Amino acid sequence: MARLKDDAQWIVLMGFIVSFSLFFLALVLNQSTVIGQTTAESVSEFPKDDIRGIRSLMIQDAYLDTTDANNIRYDIQTLAMSRQNAVVSFWNTSTSTSTETFTTGEILYNNGVLIYKEEWTARE
Amino acid sequence: MVNTDGQLYTIEGLAASLILLLTAFLVVNTTSVFTLGDTHISDMQLETTGNDALAMMDHAVNATPSGTIGKSPLRQIVEVPDSANRTLFVQMFDNITNNRSIGRDRIQFSANFSYAHGTAMMPSSTPVNMTTPLGSSRFLTGGEHAVRATRWLIADVGDPPGTMASARERAVLVEVYLWRD
Repeated sequence: MARLKDDAQWIVLMGFIVSFSLFFLALVLNQSTVIGQTTAESVSEFPKDDIRGIRSLMIQDAYLDTTDANNIRYDIQTLAMSRQNAVVSFWNTSTSTSTETFTTGEILYNNGVLIYKEEWTARE
Repeated sequence: MVNTDGQLYTIEGLAASLILLLTAFLVVNTTSVFTLGDTHISDMQLETTGNDALAMMDHAVNATPSGTIGKSPLRQIVEVPDSANRTLFVQMFDNITNNRSIGRDRIQFSANFSYAHGTAMMPSSTPVNMTTPLGSSRFLTGGEHAVRATRWLIADVGDPPGTMASARERAVLVEVYLWRD
């Protein structure tokens, strides 16, 4: 019986390697298209502008007179609950030393998915 | 004598064809999902455009030498939402969002604002008025794929808006629905 020539085994092995690398490249390409979608979705779902808007009002509220500040506090809580499905709460206090006055505030925002908490301080 | 060497070649051939088939499937599958991702990206951009436009309109002019601080155009419109001011809102918002170096964009919008009635101090017992229109470039029929842009501001809004007697500082939420047609 003639001996089997085994040179072809190298060709088959190379074929395997090439096809496997193609397979993994295709897998990477397949996943990469979903990335744009999921990123845009998570950006759209994150209430960045809601929080920024509400935060700016809460800080403005600290510098209004007492009647307006109280009115606007309840306005913000009412509107946030009914129009943005968010429970919000905030406190502003003013502390004075002999030389300086500090205004500090605490902001709480919760829309069921995201909880945001902030403390801020400003020197007058 | 029967030779069994051929079996090895058959198994290799089968394995290679399976791998090629899977690769071809993945490649074809890859090209077909592009439109899905694109939809959400343009939604995100439209929302940002709307929020930026509202932020620009809520920018007050500089204080005068005598020290009086001007109100932003958006605040003036919200405080007196008569037909002249609603037209002003539509023109302003339309120009900011649809401005391009060549031609105009096709963004359409419908805007309104909400505020809390009365002086009730409990959030749960205060009804919200959300029906004051600020004008629209086209009527919202429900078939549009709209996104929402919002802006919070403090304004001397009466109840109903424009009534001087009941005007006090209120938190107002301006909401704009935007879509491309």
